[in-house]
Amino acid sequence: MKRRTFIKFSTITTILFSSNITIARTITNDSLFVLDEVLNIIFPKTSTMPSAKEFKALEYLVVNISHKTFDNDDKSLIIDGTKDFIKAFPNFLNLNNQEKKELIFRIIKTNNYAKSWVSKLSYYGIEAMFSDPIYGGNSNQIGWISINHNIGYPRPSKTYGQKI
Amino acid sequence: MIYDVCVIGSGAGAGPIIYELSKIGLKVCVLEKGDIYNEKDFSKDEIALVRRPIYTPKLKDEYHTIEEFIDGSWQKFPTYETAWSFWNGNLLGGSSNFMSGYFHRLKPNDFRLASTYGIPENSNIVDWPISYDDMEKYYEKVERVVGVSGEVQEYEFMEPRSTKDFPYPALQENKIVNLIDKACEDLNYKVIKTPRAIISKQKEHRNPCYYSNYCGSYACSSGAKGSSRASLIKDALLTNNVTIIPNAFVIKLNTSKDKKITSAVYLSKNENKKEIKAKLFVLAAQAVESSRLLLNSKDENFPFGVANNSKNVGKNFLSSSGGILSATFDETNLPLEDLLASGLFVNRSLMDWYYNEKFKGGTVDILFEHANPIRRASFARWDENSELVIGEELQNKIYNNFTKTRTLNMEIFTDWTPNDNSFISVDEKYKDKYGIPVANIRIGAHKQDLEAANFIKEKAIKLFEKMGGKNIVSDISALPSSNLQAGGCRFGDNAKTSVLNKYCQAHEVSNLFVTDGSFMPTGGSVPFTWTIYANSFRVADYIKDNWKNIII
Repeated sequence: MKRRTFIKFSTITTILFSSNITIARTITNDSLFVLDEVLNIIFPKTSTMPSAKEFKALEYLVVNISHKTFDNDDKSLIIDGTKDFIKAFPNFLNLNNQEKKELIFRIIKTNNYAKSWVSKLSYYGIEAMFSDPIYGGNSNQIGWISINHNIGYPRPSKTYGQKI
Repeated sequence: MIYDVCVIGSGAGAGPIIYELSKIGLKVCVLEKGDIYNEKDFSKDEIALVRRPIYTPKLKDEYHTIEEFIDGSWQKFPTYETAWSFWNGNLLGGSSNFMSGYFHRLKPNDFRLASTYGIPENSNIVDWPISYDDMEKYYEKVERVVGVSGEVQEYEFMEPRSTKDFPYPALQENKIVNLIDKACEDLNYKVIKTPRAIISKQKEHRNPCYYSNYCGSYACSSGAKGSSRASLIKDALLTNNVTIIPNAFVIKLNTSKDKKITSAVYLSKNENKKEIKAKLFVLAAQAVESSRLLLNSKDENFPFGVANNSKNVGKNFLSSSGGILSATFDETNLPLEDLLASGLFVNRSLMDWYYNEKFKGGTVDILFEHANPIRRASFARWDENSELVIGEELQNKIYNNFTKTRTLNMEIFTDWTPNDNSFISVDEKYKDKYGIPVANIRIGAHKQDLEAANFIKEKAIKLFEKMGGKNIVSDISALPSSNLQAGGCRFGDNAKTSVLNKYCQAHEVSNLFVTDGSFMPTGGSVPFTWTIYANSFRVADYIKDNWKNIII
């Protein structure tokens, strides 16, 4: 199954890069479940660092992805990439944790589209971990606390530089 | 209403003009492309200040084109394709709000580079029409009015000073300076404390530095940083002679038959066209945008753009050459408690190689990597083979980077040699969302610049090695620093070869002055800001002394 789905994912990649397919720009429930799992594979809980679920990476993404300053290309890559991943691996959510992890680790080594998608999730996952909690991630400053980061003051009382 | 003075822009080149002319009772209108912010609006929000285009336009809407020499020809690339932004701050006070404030004066020979070192082949180096002595009292004025902290230390190439000390004591330092100082002593390098445009004690409404740990790239919440907004414009507003029109994007200067500017046309926030009339116009929109506005202001009096009948506008764009080196330090170098102590400055510079017997050298500024945790953690996403790192390995890398090491950087500044392939132009094919042609920046660098940077790099590497730094990497490049812009309207005595006279008044338009970095024919081997401030004070004095003659 895994071999077949990998091939299918590669095929989708080829199609995406060779044509102008218009894909709806919405995050479905399936996508949310998948994003949550994949973010947690990128950022697992360790003895020193919080997991993506703990620092609320998914919440951060959902809250901020539609803001006017969020890069449109990044938005498309995250949303479309998740849909394509689901098409390629429809049983992903039924795999056990180890199988899920192995799959993600494998596709970033073998598929450039998958690598770009996971890379973009790690990019915004790090934003979620270390941005001010006002943006929805870094729950209770868990990211900053984990690395003993000295916060800069004043912290923002409004998002995106809005005037007081 | 006809204002006495209309100032376009509000950064370092504009602030002294607004400050000085409003204080003698002239009615000054400031057209600022961005919004008005105050200290209370600023925070240490990495998302807003560093990660998103909040204080700069979205590049898809307003971009530049960068012209690079590729495969044997010059090719233009819109910056929205590369995210290489040449906007540095659209808000009251401009990019001076976000500067690190590493303040160095130019040195006497910087004003006479051609006569000191000769003119290299394929370069357009000329002497300035003024000398260091003409500028000294204005450098000193900036120290007092804008506020510069530091400690005067003798070294071989130190410029003459009219005062003994900086008006503000040096800022507090991280203990890593002991390591730097010792290594420099061993290497026989003369290291000096970097002067900073950050005040270390109260100055009227401005509070001293509170060591926030977030300085460069961030606007200051105490007013300690000498932005044009905090140090000059706020005081100017107290005169009631200043009107600031925010969100005013100036798109054209209108002229009369007698070759004077009559009005500035701008787009308001709602994209309505409006017009401001004044007796005198001062342009200070940062070098790239200032040349763009002049070039886009074509009419029957100036078919090639305002003040450009000599076709010199845009020529000899300057930036800074050089690059950056970095090394990591850990508990084998310094107790972690000291190394990771946040907020304290490094403030060390090396100017031993500012001059060299054979060629003009440059400056090294030493500083910690900025606090920005998102940016710093993002480096952990890739390994040395450019493979994506995820999972436990990524998490451990982030943890170790933050809790066990600290990165020290050395920034090298060398002259950007003016040449025929470094200029600003406009091209009807590339327009912003308003339909206005964007600035094209051709970024051809002279080979001498890279040679000077590599010469200094070797000296810098020796210092890192002597300090016991690990993972020493260098990135020396012929690419410009987008936040360091000058040239394009160089000043000079000859109207055929320069845009401005020695008072930064346009040769062709008597009621136009340009006071951002555009006037500089050469840029020195330091960040430009102190010189831009000082020159703007100098021009303000000239305007004050000659007001009646200028506006006739």
